[in-house]
Amino acid sequence: MRRRAFLNGFAATVTAAAAGPLIVTDRTIAQTRTMFVNTWGGSWTAAEEAAFFKPFTEATGIRVRTVAPVSYAKLKAQVQSGSYEWDVTAITQADLLRADREGLVEPIDWSIVKKDKLFPNAVYANGLAYCALGTNLAYRKDKFPQGGPKTWADFWDVKKFPGNRSMLNNAVRTAQFALVADGVSPDKVFPIDVDRAFKKLDQIKPHIKVWWTQGNQSQQLLRDGEVDMMVMWNARASELQQQGLPVELVWHGATITTTMWGIAKGAPNRKLAWEFLQFAVQPKPQADFANRLYYGPTNPEAFKFVSPEIARQLPTYVENAKVAIKPDTVWEAEHTARIQERFTQWLAA
Amino acid sequence: MAGGLSPAAALPTEVRTRAARSRSPAVWLLLGPPSLVLTLLFMLPIGLVLVTSITDPRMSLAHYQRIFTVPLYTHVMLNTFVTSLVVTALCLVLGYPVAYVMARRSDWVSTLLLTIVAMSFWTGFLVRTYAWLVILGSKGPVTGAYQALGLGPAPQLLFTSFASTLGMTHILLPYMILALFAVMKKIEPDQLKAAASLGARPRAAFAAVFLPLSLPGVVNGSLLVFVSCLGFFVTPILLGTPRDMMISQLINQQIEELLAWGFASAVAVILLIATGLILVVYNRFAGLDRLWG
Repeated sequence: MRRRAFLNGFAATVTAAAAGPLIVTDRTIAQTRTMFVNTWGGSWTAAEEAAFFKPFTEATGIRVRTVAPVSYAKLKAQVQSGSYEWDVTAITQADLLRADREGLVEPIDWSIVKKDKLFPNAVYANGLAYCALGTNLAYRKDKFPQGGPKTWADFWDVKKFPGNRSMLNNAVRTAQFALVADGVSPDKVFPIDVDRAFKKLDQIKPHIKVWWTQGNQSQQLLRDGEVDMMVMWNARASELQQQGLPVELVWHGATITTTMWGIAKGAPNRKLAWEFLQFAVQPKPQADFANRLYYGPTNPEAFKFVSPEIARQLPTYVENAKVAIKPDTVWEAEHTARIQERFTQWLAA
Repeated sequence: MAGGLSPAAALPTEVRTRAARSRSPAVWLLLGPPSLVLTLLFMLPIGLVLVTSITDPRMSLAHYQRIFTVPLYTHVMLNTFVTSLVVTALCLVLGYPVAYVMARRSDWVSTLLLTIVAMSFWTGFLVRTYAWLVILGSKGPVTGAYQALGLGPAPQLLFTSFASTLGMTHILLPYMILALFAVMKKIEPDQLKAAASLGARPRAAFAAVFLPLSLPGVVNGSLLVFVSCLGFFVTPILLGTPRDMMISQLINQQIEELLAWGFASAVAVILLIATGLILVVYNRFAGLDRLWG
């Protein structure tokens, strides 16, 4: 008896081990209908959950699982190894372009995505436009009772606006702001005059207390009063306002970059993923996302579902977009590596 | 080996165990899985990194040439080694007295110290890094004490090389203390009593007896701290300045932001070779098998 029980147990184990790979590949069959999304986590994923994933599952029965944080390196590793952790990723436009050029992005499946249901300029580098993100000058109003900085030139003016400063540790963004501070009109920043930008950056470098790299780190700096003015992502600053902090955002000379949806080349659930992307770029879900996290909808129709109060704080709001820098993605994709090396060297010197 | 029936008891212990080791298939069964795991999950990926460093994007040694010719990369490597040396020295200076007290006393003081060190050891290093952000911040206790004492505006502590060195020292200190403690605990108190009975004053007994006997712990702890410090990543980013960039930050930037896998692999290989060289030197003088006491 005991021997038999043992044998049965053993057989069950062997069967399970043999069936293991089948169970894993099972998720590729539409039967279980689950797809995996690479995202940034935190409040970003919470907003996605409410605006995209839940309504999509309710409408289609397809379940969505998330993996954080967004990693371009993982996209490349997945496609190269053929072993996938996720199907869809949120990704910056410049990164998507580079990925598409490296053959890491699944071409759009026009049998699922309906062209007539997309807005103009929705498609770029085999991805769909997700939302627009502002990188702004933000400052503590309580530190500047006479009125705070209104332009990048003011940010550079340490005599008129004394105080601790922080900037994003990102070469291309920083170079753009330097050029605007030097008098270049926001719509004339590209192609970037790199030498001129670095010359201007030399002036501000001694006054930058910290070069931040992570979104929550930037919030901590302004919340704790470590710095008085800084470069910040617009929704991160809006979150601080919602928490009751006296924070002001400047739109003049801010950078507006587009975040995209992209699908990893050869991803097992790509058909479900295209269905999802088609759903996610529609006006209502995009508006639901923007109402929760203040990154701008890319679909102009979405503004119908956004309250005017919130709309004014979004990067794609016409008055905001008008005075902002719209980066040349192709130029960025080609020059980022070279500028970043120079920038890192400049920072370390 | 052929004389399987010869009276084993007649052989010296070492020979006997060696003979048993090579004969028993159980040994190979035991060795098999870990060797397989190490090969598949460790040797193979490292081999791939090596290959990537000379083939991505094309077959050449250009990445290595770049590392040693562009000033930024030599600067980062030099900084990584100098920082690791400083942190190791600080851990040794701070950790030695603590480990000494822990090993020499056998009452509640020792237990209390061990508990504190262990708790620090078990607290996540991210938590400890963020704690320093609060302590050294402009609204933190250090600045507060500075102002309360009427010393004027406090100097900037956060986002300096000082803060990042302090943070890394704090995080690695428990490793040093535990490595020292493991060796010191084995030093017989009777040996110090013997020294005293032969007329050595406490200071002389420490210098002539305890210190030399504790040296293996010093070497072990230093090696452990130094090698761990070489790979430090988050703490210098959050507490330090871009000037304190460490090698692993460079590797991360190359992989995640610039997608330069070939170059990142070359940097990783250099780091690996440097770490390997240190272990080789250590093995020459101390023996790797003594690393864990």
